Amino acid sequence: MSCAIETEGLIKIFRSRWSGKEVRAVDGISLRVERGATFGLLGPNGAGKTTFVKLLLSCAHPTGGRATIFGRDARDAEARRPIGYLPENHRFPTYMTGYSMLDFYGALSGMDAVSRQRRIPELLKTVGLDDWGHSRLGKYSKGMLQRVGLAQALMHEPSLLVLDEPTDGVDPIGRRHIRDILHVLEQQGVTIFLNSHLLGEVELFCRDVAIIHRGKVALEGKVKDLTAGSGYRIEAERIPERLEQELRAKAMAVAQRNGNVEFLFGSREEANQAVDLLRAEHCEIEAMARTNSTLEDVFVRTVNEQ
Amino acid sequence: MNNRTLLVTGALVRDTFREAFARKIFWGFLGCSTALILFFVFILKIDVVQGAMATVSLFGNTRQGGDVQRLVRQTHGAIAAFLYTAGMFLAIFASAGLIPSVFEPGRIELLLSKPVARHHILLGRYIGNVLVIAANVFYLVLAVWLIFGWKTGVWTAGFLWSSVLTVFVFAILLTVVMLVAVLWESAVVATMITFGIMLISPILAQQRVLERLLTSEWSRNLVRVLYYALPKVFDLGRISRGLVLGDPVGDWMPFWSSALFGLAMLSTGLYAFARRNY
Repeated sequence: MSCAIETEGLIKIFRSRWSGKEVRAVDGISLRVERGATFGLLGPNGAGKTTFVKLLLSCAHPTGGRATIFGRDARDAEARRPIGYLPENHRFPTYMTGYSMLDFYGALSGMDAVSRQRRIPELLKTVGLDDWGHSRLGKYSKGMLQRVGLAQALMHEPSLLVLDEPTDGVDPIGRRHIRDILHVLEQQGVTIFLNSHLLGEVELFCRDVAIIHRGKVALEGKVKDLTAGSGYRIEAERIPERLEQELRAKAMAVAQRNGNVEFLFGSREEANQAVDLLRAEHCEIEAMARTNSTLEDVFVRTVNEQ
Repeated sequence: MNNRTLLVTGALVRDTFREAFARKIFWGFLGCSTALILFFVFILKIDVVQGAMATVSLFGNTRQGGDVQRLVRQTHGAIAAFLYTAGMFLAIFASAGLIPSVFEPGRIELLLSKPVARHHILLGRYIGNVLVIAANVFYLVLAVWLIFGWKTGVWTAGFLWSSVLTVFVFAILLTVVMLVAVLWESAVVATMITFGIMLISPILAQQRVLERLLTSEWSRNLVRVLYYALPKVFDLGRISRGLVLGDPVGDWMPFWSSALFGLAMLSTGLYAFARRNY
């Protein structure tokens, strides 16, 4: 069965019209997001996260590589049918009401009038805006706009939800509310792809993460593995497959980092044994250190190492 | 055209109307048209009370049957000319923002994320914009035509055809707005370039005179190329006036060459939109 999202060597180069200067916003990203996953995309400002999302949604055209959504080429308009998207810094037309906005985007998603009329009150209630449906969006607060934006993304019952900073400007209670909605969707099998700066939120919600930096995947793995408490981290390259399997079995967690494999061992003895095995096989050890335990630490370490 | 295409096109057109309502464009035009209609209703009402079967009084002047027909045609002509010139400028000025507004960051991404082809999004918006103006033009022209016809018994189809031609010219000029909006995302630049095309049209319409005055061959060729390439707003205005006055259309070249220009602009706009990164 195909992945919800799969990219292979995705590249996006922006060229200045006048100077010809190139910016490699996305530089060969290969990523797989399984169906039903809760996936967090992290990275510092300007890392290429939003460009990557725009390539998935065909808002921008790739310079190289390919992206598929549920096995379909992302450039095909039909590939976007199962996607619900909430952009960062969205600008919903202020002349619309919450109701008319949902109706408009629902129609663009191919929903007929009857389905839209049934779905809109349901969704407004879900996001706690049932009393505001007929008010103009110009009167909504930032948090309310985020919630109605989420309702918009859910309008056609998507099987892949792409959310760019979904809790931006939302108060703590609203954030909790959004998280609860996302948990329900996760249980229903909806794939959730979260692009966020809020590491704590990603740590709370996502099972898998990728950190991208300077347009490349700098770190990828399961949140529980990457934040598996204190231990000893060994990053090595050119590991024979047999040895890698052996070390995987012993390690608390394993992640891919810059094309290398990173193992996390619970004790100094285990780490030393691993070093002995790796050296015996003439593997290059790139780094070795005691680990921290929060996603923020992992993030900072990853970005600083680049 | 399948149901889904109609559903999406309908949504895009409704959204354009909604935005035109919110920007008061639609209501502004409707208010002006209604005021003009009421003006004619009022004047004709007084004259009918004062007039006999064979005569009608308009603007306080009593005319015989033959004169009435001429007067109705002239009044139709005046309204058609007003719509074609001042109305066209106003329509372009007022609605030029309806297409560029779609390209605002934060709005375009959401539209592009929907399972709709890019050309469909742009065409839907374009059709919506044309319909906003067409609704107002047809409302005014049809109402005036009915009022005059009912009061005077003069029913000339030329006036109705002239309104179709006015909408046609607006639709062509709007393709320029659309292309400029896609390339530069600016309503101001789009308006300026479109006004430029409208203003240069009467000069280019004097192409034969200009060619006699120009000394170099390349400048004569330039005038010729510009005349045939750009929409013939002035020539089509003359055709519109001829339609109202009941004159036969002698030359359809301004019509089809302008249509070709519109098609070229539309295709280029759609192509540029399909290739852009947002």
